[in-house]
Amino acid sequence: MRSLTVALPSGRLLADAVRLLRAAGYGGPDAQDRSLVWQWGELTVIVAKPVDLLTYVERGAADCGVVGKDILLEQAHDVYELVDLGFGRCRGVVALPADRRHLWGDPRRHLRVATKYPRVAERFFWERGRPVEIVELYGSVELAPRVGLSDGILDLVMTGTTLRANGLVEVAEVFQSTARLVVNPVSLRARSEAVRELVGRLTRVVEGVP
Amino acid sequence: MRAVEGCLRRTFEAWGYREVATPALEYLDTWTRGMGNPPAATLFVVVDRTGELLALRPEMTVPVARFVATRWPDTVARLYYVGSVFRGELGRGNSREFPQAGVERVGDGGADADAEVVALAVDALRQAAVPGVRVGLGHAGFLRALLDASGLEEDRQVAQEALYRRDFVTLSSLLDGAPAPVRGALLDLPSLRGSGALPRARSLRVGQEALDELEAVLEAVQGYAVGDAVEVDLGIIRDFDYYTGVVLEAYAPGSGAPLLGGGRYDQLLERFGASRPAVGFAVHLERVLASSPRGGVLAPVLEVGYERSARAQALAWVRRARAAGLRVAATPAEEGRLQPGLNFRAEGIWWVERDGSRRLLAPEDLDALLEGRTP
Repeated sequence: MRSLTVALPSGRLLADAVRLLRAAGYGGPDAQDRSLVWQWGELTVIVAKPVDLLTYVERGAADCGVVGKDILLEQAHDVYELVDLGFGRCRGVVALPADRRHLWGDPRRHLRVATKYPRVAERFFWERGRPVEIVELYGSVELAPRVGLSDGILDLVMTGTTLRANGLVEVAEVFQSTARLVVNPVSLRARSEAVRELVGRLTRVVEGVP
Repeated sequence: MRAVEGCLRRTFEAWGYREVATPALEYLDTWTRGMGNPPAATLFVVVDRTGELLALRPEMTVPVARFVATRWPDTVARLYYVGSVFRGELGRGNSREFPQAGVERVGDGGADADAEVVALAVDALRQAAVPGVRVGLGHAGFLRALLDASGLEEDRQVAQEALYRRDFVTLSSLLDGAPAPVRGALLDLPSLRGSGALPRARSLRVGQEALDELEAVLEAVQGYAVGDAVEVDLGIIRDFDYYTGVVLEAYAPGSGAPLLGGGRYDQLLERFGASRPAVGFAVHLERVLASSPRGGVLAPVLEVGYERSARAQALAWVRRARAAGLRVAATPAEEGRLQPGLNFRAEGIWWVERDGSRRLLAPEDLDALLEGRTP
């Protein structure tokens, strides 16, 4: 039987995800090279781009994965979201340039919004009946209003430093996000023992139970 | 793909099911009526010349229900279909057309009808050469009863949607005030399966009628000698809202997603004007193909070679073999050289001589053929 495969997201969540797995008693040698596959005893760990992570888990290439709630909200997926891992806390917000924040006060005002989360944005504006044009970008979203590409942005904020540095102010909160443990529906059944063990150990660490 | 489709067709036919074909396009109203809340984001909607809204079918059960309800409202029917469904998945490199085949057994509401459909699900996948088939059996009524017992009022719909999305984090935060056993069962749904699941569910004193039904189906399934492939799985969550009774999903080791899914939907035909119970399932052909090592082909192809001068004798024998149900590909040798066809599942090549005699070619004969010498 092959070992359980866990997909971790590269980038800002990786260090905390590794720390959590180690605290839950999993572990192995630190990857010396830039290898994206680590063998940790009974666990195979792969490191994937956050936006690709759900694809790995959904298609069963990984049994479990760690992924931000923001990605779960944005992408259609067929995975089980089982545990709130608590780290990677951030919020999705709509922000406008400080000198144009009054635009938000008029719900009929058509806004052009740049974002990495087009589906979340569409849903958010649709539910409020606000007219919007969504500009889909893959990075440095805060640049868009400065160069006239958009009126505002919908993006993740952690401390707000990036917003301030770009003269933007938050006008609405769209969602709150933390890292989540997700599981492939077939792995949940076919490999239930190993999955339950992992879920149990991670939950105990997250809840602070010794 | 066609081979998998053929296997399923033959199995459905062998069980007395008849084919029904419905249009790929239906009025948008059909979907809203049938699915309650159709997944608008994934529907392909088109406007016809009079301004009517139509949508490509995202699934097959609603059109078959509409068809049966409007054409044969009083019939007991065993029906099957083969066709593609269309779902738009935004922003992913996924395909949008998904070939399916499935059955709908209309007009019979008992556990025996459920059991037949469950057994047919196992048989169909086994006929398609899928190894290690497991069919899980749950109950939509049990999930509803659990949600009813959770004490949620305004948030019940939110909780149900979280459950459909398999978002147990949100579900957990909504259930803080729920009775502890109900909360525990809902959050532990993914592991409410196997031999211990029914006693555990019984102890909750919730949804007992649903569990009675489930047990009756399990008992009836025993008669089909597929019991070893069937297990209780109360954690099965089907996200179409029309299911009312037993729900099923099938898994195999090689597939990351269920190979088929379905269940009982006793109120769906009523939405189209004919109150009839019904139960069925849909098979995802691509997933079956991916998890069947022989591509769904059970009978090997017989490859036959002959010299042109022996054509009549060879083809006469080939006709007889085909009439007997064998799958035969016959190719004449070109100047003593045989080009085997793309029958990569052929178990060997038979050589027919002018006198009608034939033999299975040995490896050295094949070498001879490939070098252009008559074996």
